[in-house]
Amino acid sequence: MFNNKRLALSIFWVVVGIALFIMGVTETLDPIYGGFGGGLIGVGIAQLIRHFRYRTNPEYKEKADTANSDERNRFLSMKAWSWTGYICVIGAGIAVIILMIIGQTVYAEIASFFVCFMLIVYWFTYVILSRKY
Amino acid sequence: MKNKIEEIRTQKGIKQDELAKILGVSRQTISSLENGRYNPSIKLAYDISKYFGMTIEEVFCFEEE
Repeated sequence: MFNNKRLALSIFWVVVGIALFIMGVTETLDPIYGGFGGGLIGVGIAQLIRHFRYRTNPEYKEKADTANSDERNRFLSMKAWSWTGYICVIGAGIAVIILMIIGQTVYAEIASFFVCFMLIVYWFTYVILSRKY
Repeated sequence: MKNKIEEIRTQKGIKQDELAKILGVSRQTISSLENGRYNPSIKLAYDISKYFGMTIEEVFCFEEE
């Protein structure tokens, strides 16, 4: 989890964040990108702090390694992603019905495209995984 | 799936966090296993049984749900 690739990625987020923040502040880009850059800087710095703790604090390293390799954690993560998918599809499905009822057909179409897209992605991943396992 | 992990662990005088450290899992995983909220992988079930010097069938009770 805390390898050199991740470290490089964290530095990359900070650099991109600084660039976007400067361009947002100087109005080279829309100011919204400045806010986005600020967010990236925050995420990058938080990751760098975690890297630093991992490399300097043996207790934290042991805890992080255990949490990373713990099979229940992996199970919970997969389950959470699975639920997220179900909630998004069902939520979008309900949104389509509500939007159709209130006459917002354009938004209803967007939501129905989202449902179709999610179902196509599910079908593709199912086929790929069934070949793998 | 029911199991005798808590019973065997207390008999041997081992704490949850000690067992977790030996098996390379979190203490919460041991707690969830003991409460029957989480079913372990075959690898973890094998590791637990091996550590206790027992067979998987002696530690875990396989019942049709």
